[in-house]
Amino acid sequence: MNWQPELDELRLREAHAHEMGGPDKVARQHAGGRLTVRERIEKLADPSSFHETGAIAGRAEYDEAGDLKRLTPSNCVMGRARVDGRPVVIVGDDFTVRGGSADATIREKPVMAERLAQEFRLPILRVIEGSGGGGSVKTIETTGRANLPGGVGMSQLFHLTTENLSHVPVVGLGLGSVAGLGAARLAAAHFSVMTKESAMFVAGPPVVARLGQDLSKKELGGWEIQTKSGAVDNAVDTEEEAFAAARRFLSYLPSSVHALPPVTPSEDDPARRDEKLFSAIPRDRRRVYQMRPIVESVVDRGSFFEMGRMFGRPIITGLARLKGVPVALMASDPFFYGGSWTADACAKIIRFLDLAETFHLPVVYLCDCPGFMVGLEAEKAATIRLGVRAMAAMGQTTVPWCTIIIRNAFGVAGAAHAPAGRLSLRYAWLSARWGSLPLEGGIEAAYAADIAAAEDKEAKLAEIEDRLNRLRSPFRTAETFWVEEIIDPRDTRRLLCEFADLALPLLSPTPSRLRMRP
Amino acid sequence: MAEGVTTIRAEIGAAVWKITAPAGTEVAEEEPVLILESMKMEIPVLAPHAGRVLELLVEEGQQVEEGQPLATLRR
Repeated sequence: MNWQPELDELRLREAHAHEMGGPDKVARQHAGGRLTVRERIEKLADPSSFHETGAIAGRAEYDEAGDLKRLTPSNCVMGRARVDGRPVVIVGDDFTVRGGSADATIREKPVMAERLAQEFRLPILRVIEGSGGGGSVKTIETTGRANLPGGVGMSQLFHLTTENLSHVPVVGLGLGSVAGLGAARLAAAHFSVMTKESAMFVAGPPVVARLGQDLSKKELGGWEIQTKSGAVDNAVDTEEEAFAAARRFLSYLPSSVHALPPVTPSEDDPARRDEKLFSAIPRDRRRVYQMRPIVESVVDRGSFFEMGRMFGRPIITGLARLKGVPVALMASDPFFYGGSWTADACAKIIRFLDLAETFHLPVVYLCDCPGFMVGLEAEKAATIRLGVRAMAAMGQTTVPWCTIIIRNAFGVAGAAHAPAGRLSLRYAWLSARWGSLPLEGGIEAAYAADIAAAEDKEAKLAEIEDRLNRLRSPFRTAETFWVEEIIDPRDTRRLLCEFADLALPLLSPTPSRLRMRP
Repeated sequence: MAEGVTTIRAEIGAAVWKITAPAGTEVAEEEPVLILESMKMEIPVLAPHAGRVLELLVEEGQQVEEGQPLATLRR
């Protein structure tokens, strides 16, 4: 006696589930250049590490004798897997079953995936295509009633979509067309990546056509729109690259807020001096320079992983390692408004610093900030509102912090180069300059009476500027200890690695008081 | 857009400070085509690839918006 018939039925039902929406739907998915959800999970996770939960949940058809004819699985595939050997939760939409929409969803499956991540303290990877288990208009007919979003018994997924950001790393992968709740689940991630063939929008072309906007999917929500808007962090060419980006992002983070970021062995010499840094900053203050090579040069070789490159571009944000210690690194990019803090840049800083605080990542800031962005457009964008929020985000961090002033630190945004309420490490390069206000324009305001009284106003202006410029050497500031240290830029890596050494024992795997918002 | 022709767009709102590669100039990848001025800084607009500048769509002194086409470049 054994249970062979039941085992056979279990295997049969699993086999049906593995067929997903059927051969024609799978073929259509492949014809569109996209993998199926099961292929995606297989490639995203360590080989053969996926342990599925609830594979045989779905809609069954029975013959007259009550025997199973066919099982169409739910369009949510989820379970546990490993990424670089570490356990994670993966939850994916199966677009071959009713286009990933709610009609074929068993609501409890994605909810359980999110709960599993939170309660077992595991990172969650959301593989999103379609409306992410959200509804379609058809649902009204299939259920015979209209659904109140977030109504009784329906609010938990909405809750966990954002709540999990305060518990575990959340990664969103947008692969295909992503709309509605799918878009929300993608945007509500610590890191989101889409392929350049994908599109993400609140509502797709047929809906916006009713507004008179005749747009293709890509014109409406392609990568160029969504990475620039900041709704999605990164875009890549292939799904394989999206999996690699997701895995790389996780490699810097602890599995939850109850653990510390994983320190990995580093072969890069912490005392390595890069001669190029000595001449990286032009002496002509009007000329700009490339910040990314400087970043690459001071962190462990090849360890910089940039997120959100196309959004808030005066600030570069990414994860890196110093002597193998993961850090959150932000740096100014003078190619964009001279590195001024625009409203977008401030929004980017807020989310980035919240990430650092949530996952106990020390912060390194390579600062070259001439101030907040100025002008009518900047005022209309509420730059100062976003700016003070960014300052508050900085002030609310408790993780160790190290700032290198590369060149400019002017005005209020210049002051926001380190948390104001506590001690952090700070170094200024030889090229550093600072002030309450840049001289240009500032002189006209402060010396208005002198200039007005002068016969040759331009000569007077030039004379004052020359006078002030000679006082502006950082050494004069250092005389009074208003800045504690001016360094040879070639020593930067050594000092940052020392900072990582000092920071590591200060980190505590205690959840931050901050509750992160997407 | 003809094949092999790239439109170079302004990545920031700025004034056109100087045109460094007039139409007909051969430029290398990452060589400046023109220089914008923003926040009192000179911000070069670099060629995304090597090629010949076909047409300059702006003039020195002109104010440009983010996303505005500045020049075309033939590979």
